[in-house]
Amino acid sequence: MDIIKIIENTIAAFFGIDAAYFALAAIGLNIQFGYTGLLNFGQSAFMACGAYGLGMTSQYFGVGMWWGILIGLALVVILGLLVGIPTLRLRADYLAIVTIATAEIVRLVVRSVRFKQYFGGSDGINSFSTSFRSLSPFDPGAQYGIRPFQYSGYSLWTMIIGWSLVVIFSFLVYMLMKSPWGRVVKAIREDEDAVRSLGKNVYSYKMQSLIIGGVVGMFSGMIFALDRGSVQPDNYSRDVTFYVLTALVLGGVAKVRGSVIGPMMFWGLYVFSDNFLRELTKDKPFNLFGIGIIQKAQVGPVNYMLIGLGLMLLMTFRPQGVFGSKEEMALDGR
Amino acid sequence: MQAEFGDEVTDTNNSKSRVFAVGRAFAVLLAAMFMFSAPGNAQAADSDNSIIVSVQNQANNNGVSEKKPVVGVKISVTNLAGVAVGEGVTDSVGSVTIPVPAKDDYVVTLDVASLPSGVTLIEGTKTVVNIVKDAFTTNAKRVTFFAGTSGESGASLMDRIAQRLVDGVRLGLIIAICSVGLSLIFGTTGLTNFAHGEMVTFGGLIAFWFNVLLGIPLLIAAPIVIALGGVLGLAMNGVIFAKLRKRGIGLISQLVVSVGLSIMLRNMYLYQFGGRTRPLDDYSLQVAKHLGPVSITMRDLSTTIISFIVLMGVAAYLQRSRTGKAIRAVSDNPSLASSTGIDTQKIIRIVWFAGGALAAMGGVFRGLDEQVGFEMGSGLIFLMFAGITLGGLGSAYGALVGGFLVGLLVELASLVVPAELKNAPALLILIIVLVVRPQGILGRKQRVG
Amino acid sequence: MDAERTYSELAQRARTALASVNASPGVAKPDPILLAENVRRNFGGVTAVDVQHLEVQRGSITALIGPNGAGKTTLFNLLTGFDTPDTGEWMFDSKNLKKVVAHKTASLGMVRTFQLTKSLTKLSVIENMKLGATHQMGEKWWNGLLPFRYRKQEAIIERRADELLKRFKLDHMRDQYAGTLSGGQRKLLEMARALMTNPRLVMLDEPMAGVNPALKQSLNEHIRGLRDDGMTVLFVEHDMDMVHDISDWVVVMAEGRIIAEGTPEQISSNPAVIEAYLGTHQGKSLLEEENA
Ligand SMILES: Nc1ncnc2c1ncn2[C@@H]1O[C@H](COP(=O)(O)OP(=O)(O)OP(=O)(O)O)[C@@H](O)[C@H]1O
Ligand SMILES: [Mg+2]
Repeated sequence: MDIIKIIENTIAAFFGIDAAYFALAAIGLNIQFGYTGLLNFGQSAFMACGAYGLGMTSQYFGVGMWWGILIGLALVVILGLLVGIPTLRLRADYLAIVTIATAEIVRLVVRSVRFKQYFGGSDGINSFSTSFRSLSPFDPGAQYGIRPFQYSGYSLWTMIIGWSLVVIFSFLVYMLMKSPWGRVVKAIREDEDAVRSLGKNVYSYKMQSLIIGGVVGMFSGMIFALDRGSVQPDNYSRDVTFYVLTALVLGGVAKVRGSVIGPMMFWGLYVFSDNFLRELTKDKPFNLFGIGIIQKAQVGPVNYMLIGLGLMLLMTFRPQGVFGSKEEMALDGR
Repeated sequence: MQAEFGDEVTDTNNSKSRVFAVGRAFAVLLAAMFMFSAPGNAQAADSDNSIIVSVQNQANNNGVSEKKPVVGVKISVTNLAGVAVGEGVTDSVGSVTIPVPAKDDYVVTLDVASLPSGVTLIEGTKTVVNIVKDAFTTNAKRVTFFAGTSGESGASLMDRIAQRLVDGVRLGLIIAICSVGLSLIFGTTGLTNFAHGEMVTFGGLIAFWFNVLLGIPLLIAAPIVIALGGVLGLAMNGVIFAKLRKRGIGLISQLVVSVGLSIMLRNMYLYQFGGRTRPLDDYSLQVAKHLGPVSITMRDLSTTIISFIVLMGVAAYLQRSRTGKAIRAVSDNPSLASSTGIDTQKIIRIVWFAGGALAAMGGVFRGLDEQVGFEMGSGLIFLMFAGITLGGLGSAYGALVGGFLVGLLVELASLVVPAELKNAPALLILIIVLVVRPQGILGRKQRVG
Repeated sequence: MDAERTYSELAQRARTALASVNASPGVAKPDPILLAENVRRNFGGVTAVDVQHLEVQRGSITALIGPNGAGKTTLFNLLTGFDTPDTGEWMFDSKNLKKVVAHKTASLGMVRTFQLTKSLTKLSVIENMKLGATHQMGEKWWNGLLPFRYRKQEAIIERRADELLKRFKLDHMRDQYAGTLSGGQRKLLEMARALMTNPRLVMLDEPMAGVNPALKQSLNEHIRGLRDDGMTVLFVEHDMDMVHDISDWVVVMAEGRIIAEGTPEQISSNPAVIEAYLGTHQGKSLLEEENA
């Protein structure tokens, strides 16, 4: 077993691009779920808006990357209105149901043969990141840094942009949540009738929260797409939202720190578990105390099983995550 | 929201022992799941990484777009440099698994010359498909080529509608069966159970285990499967959700727990069963009977009739029996019901058992209808949600009516919507219902203030 | 007791106006701030509210009393837009509110509290208070990002909130989570928070339930103070002593209808009211009995 390699990979994962794009998605989800109490289970669809906005503009419209951001924003607003208008007046679970359904339909539409000429079907869209690459000050071929923090010039460039966005949005969310706007949405999370009785348009605040969170999610999708250099419909499955949610809960909902460090820890743990299990099963299947045998090919599902289990246990035993305060959680009406 | 179910919130001081008790309970469930499905291990994923190519004939036959496997098609896989990585020929289910050394970029090519005579690929389908590394979401990347002309072979519109109606009734009944439990659990406990689809999958997979791996005839196996589905429901309640209610954990948190459970179970199924879908042994080869404009196999006709009888039985049970009345009373108003002397916890257990059993039954039927696979239930959950929302969240009859209507509408809509987007109209239904009549057909509004 | 009390000019005017009003259900008032006509709400088979006509005199303290389940809370819900009636129209300050949604009624100057207190437990007491203020710049998200745009207004709001907290004897809890308040303190907080909206009509649903007697006295003073400041108060209460003590006018509901109106003295001697409370009508509708 190559322990050094596992440790190196784990440490790298804490700061990797995956943690960065997850953090962006989690910051967005935190605005919606953490602060406002909106169960947006379709964050992956907002991420797809960003990725496809970017991919489609350069692929089909032949215009620059900045237009991609604008188109992504437009898509986010449309999507937000689509899922928000019917549900935001209703109980929380309706939003969950509609967003998860919408995210699934969005994925089916973009991967469909029927709309292949726009979205590229199941192949997705490739080779749209040239203009982004050309902005990079680094030599794309060269390797920078020392192990475990060693990156190619292009990766380094996306990582810097990705983490910068994380810092920027963390700061903005921090400001927003300290403001009277943040006070209103936090109050909505607890009891929207009370807020309504004080003359606030609850519906409008929920919509704002949904869309603002969606916009941050959109940037997550863009960073992800730029890093991979391709947009793949299956990367925006509903489970992605749930993994982001798990990462957020791990860090602590309604905490800016939680939404950044949660994803870092999530990826650290995930990569650790993945590497560890792969090493364990490299030569022969691993026998887990006689109750199950893990073969090499089953490492993937086992990892995801652990994520699911982790989400359940966190929600049950430490709903405040790593950073939340137990006292706040223990107050009435959680 | 919590207060409504407040009668169960006896003690929010989470004493240490209780924490351990819940933890133990989780562990027991986990271990049970592993053990229960252990014999399936032999069936686990075929190799480390692979590309599974399937060729399906989607020809629209009299309006029925039945997927028929195309056998004996040559498929080859090369890497980006054009070096051959592997090749194979599609088997009796039109599928071929080509092992690849790693998750990487590949090119999959279909040899058009090897297509059986008279079969052509659907217009616009490429014979060469590029796979990028990231497309491997699991160890197996699936690629499907669709063959057959998509034109309607001379069937009149009325005939096509008739055929869709028949298929829609079948799908609608299955969805109704699956979602009764979902709605009743919501009604009695307030939980929106995102793991309900996994209960359906459970039914399908256990049926597969009995029928295919152990060779037990389905007619004997099915009742056992259904009972086991009930036991799974009981276990979910007893081991997880009853404990959460006792600890006074809010409904939103419970919902998120159910999401975690869904992820865990689904990947457990994937772990045991692998990523392929497979048919059950019994009744898998059927000849369609033509009755006027519509064609239906005996199998499908039987499942339709059985589903219908079961649903009528469920409705009669809820309407007439003492327990059924009690269930409706608890659904209506849990705290009121418990103050009138109904043992709510017992009712909730009954609902979970019945819900699990019905979901498993739906899983068996769905498995006969299509095939069984680790995602068969999670693919349906969204139709089930649409159904119970249409019918009215928490209303027992609502689930029956709503689920049925959604199945019917989805099939009818596929007259105009491409097959791959077949489920999209359900979303439309969902949204329209929420805008026009959020309490659904049979639901009631909630009290404020 | 009454003799010692002094009234502001506005309050005195309302009292004099009411003195000349006939004590019968649905009677018209000289200067109504709130007016409801034929408001009805059914829940399944139950008619929770069926108000033929109701007027609330501007500048008065009006009590709404009635046995449990009389429909008082439901009427509040209907008037403030939290529920929609099956039929009926109602006006606030001669503006028809039929199509007005809940949050708009509050910004029009008609604020209500809830019978089951809705303190926002995870906000601090002062944050709860500041939430009540209307027209806040910082409640627009783009301003929220620019603290300098709302800081000044926030300071003003905070001063006002602190004053109110002191009046309601909650200033020592200022920075605690509202969740740590006792039940009675939460009632106070909710009332104080409602006042932050600068309302003209305050609708209080059982403001005194669970408040200790000593504090009740001072609360009574506050409520009188509101009237003296020119606000109209409509409140639901079960404690008849308190109703007697502070209200200028009393409206009695039973089984969804208004069965009596009048000054506290007139009401306490009204046989229909006594019956409604003691339930001696034995199945017969109260109105039928009254008519007979
Ligand atoms: N959402 C609802 N669904 C069904 N019935 C309702 C609903 N809201 C109120 N009711 C019924 O309407 C009637 C009036 O209720 P309401 O809460 O208005 O009474 P109340 O006068 O405020 O009583 P209390 O003094 O006990 O607060 C009751 O019979 C109640 O059961
Ligand atoms: Mg009341």
